[in-house]
Amino acid sequence: MKKLLPAILLALGVVILAAVPWIASDVVVQFGINSLLLAVLAQGWNIIGGYCGYPSFGNSTFFGLGCYGVAIALVQWELPFAVGLAFGVALAAAFAVLLGIPVLRLKGHYFAIATLALALAMSAIVSNVEIAGRNIGLVLPPLNNDPLFYELSLALLIAATLTVFWLTRSRFGFGLIAIRENEEGAAVMGVNTTLFKILAFTLSGVFSALAGGIYAYWITFIDPVSAFDIGLNVKMIIMAVFGGPGTILGPVLGAFLLTAVSEVLASEVTTLAGLFFGLVVVAAVVLMPRGLTDVFHQFHKAGWRYFLNNIRAHRL
Amino acid sequence: MTAILEVSNATRNFSGLVAVNNVSFKLNEGEILGVIGPNGAGKTTLVSLISGTLSLSRGDITFEGQSIATLSAFRRARLGIGRTFQIMHPFPGLSVLDNVAVGALFGQSGTSVGLSQAREQARTQLEFVGLGDYADQRADELSGPGRKRLELAKALAMRPKVLLCDEVMAGLNLVEIDEVIDVVRRVRERGISVLVIEHVIKAIKSLSDRIFVLNHGEKIADGTPEAVLSDPRVIEAYLGRSRRE
Repeated sequence: MKKLLPAILLALGVVILAAVPWIASDVVVQFGINSLLLAVLAQGWNIIGGYCGYPSFGNSTFFGLGCYGVAIALVQWELPFAVGLAFGVALAAAFAVLLGIPVLRLKGHYFAIATLALALAMSAIVSNVEIAGRNIGLVLPPLNNDPLFYELSLALLIAATLTVFWLTRSRFGFGLIAIRENEEGAAVMGVNTTLFKILAFTLSGVFSALAGGIYAYWITFIDPVSAFDIGLNVKMIIMAVFGGPGTILGPVLGAFLLTAVSEVLASEVTTLAGLFFGLVVVAAVVLMPRGLTDVFHQFHKAGWRYFLNNIRAHRL
Repeated sequence: MTAILEVSNATRNFSGLVAVNNVSFKLNEGEILGVIGPNGAGKTTLVSLISGTLSLSRGDITFEGQSIATLSAFRRARLGIGRTFQIMHPFPGLSVLDNVAVGALFGQSGTSVGLSQAREQARTQLEFVGLGDYADQRADELSGPGRKRLELAKALAMRPKVLLCDEVMAGLNLVEIDEVIDVVRRVRERGISVLVIEHVIKAIKSLSDRIFVLNHGEKIADGTPEAVLSDPRVIEAYLGRSRRE
């Protein structure tokens, strides 16, 4: 029963989420699509950043490639949406493999900076590609069906979360965690570190690209600046880290909570919303550096002292 | 006796510095071979060259008759070369059991082992090194001596044919040293050939079948423990200093 309860709660949560388009207003559904796609991005980042320990700033690039995959297929080639999604995924996978080989040799800050540079370069490159509409962008044929986009996003989030769940109990996932904890130690124990890192980067990219594809069709307009937005990458990292990187549900919780907080702040205290959001993030980092999931696990043991202990442990 | 591991003319430079210079030796099947030498003699570099975390500048290494000098570290691990680290390298966030399970999952024949099977094998190895009661702790909660044993269990879970022990006794007290000596002996009884790098002379003398001595990256003597430890060059390079203390 103790094991079954979380599973039942989770299933109930999914059912409620799936029912939202039938019970809530259009505004809520649109907010829902946004949150679900951000949750997919946070969960995708979780694979490379949370499990493998490589803080990628290149995931917004995958998102952008997914956007352009769908946009080019729909606008320039007049192909169906599904083909566009597949094209976006193929672009992202190719990018992850070709650039992952050199970039994944770097560690820590160097990896972060290199992926950041790639993301900036992509926006400049795409601005000069004729088929991608240069720096003007592409306007997609509108499909006014928010419930469909909502359910698609939810399905994608479930797929991403199930993938992460599989990671926690598979040989592949064990290899990734070993790399995160100690890469040299993993290699001498037989983990093919290069291959595993590239696979993780690719898997992470596939989910980001799918989210990008859905986003592009939903929003019906993309240009290089909005598709390859570094701010989006920062957001997904904040959400994953806020919720608990390297956990199954942490990034999803983090994404839902933070999008809700920023939405409320933006409507209640319009002028200072950005400042408050920043304060929320700083407080979270100081008080719960290992994320929400860790709070859930430790709070009942340590009580309020949990937060004090974190402040002490990090000498803040 | 046949050699399972053969190092010939191994040399490694770090820009100007020659850390290991033209070192050759053989590790025979079922043997315990000791390596001693003062700090900075190149002992750990030698282990890294064999396990593949460093590459050779010159020379060759063969394992079961095949050259492994150009293989990456994980391939050498899967062939059957296990190593421990002097500076203990656990996976800190994982439980002690899962640390060892990684070895069972990825070592020799690792691809055919499931997760629950790997954990079962890991438990056996933990009991073998005397860490059975600590299986569910986080690895970074283990004491220093505990981590030394964990290093051994992790390497053993890979089912290696050759085990490279990099100072598994450093920092242990006399009782703990005796226990580790006993573990290494039982490792050899399982048919694993062992290369032991050590500072503790007394331990390595009673444990090793043969010893060789590194000084400034070069091999200066080899033979039985008694012969080597009475060699005047060895006494000057290594023991001389410690006798004056």
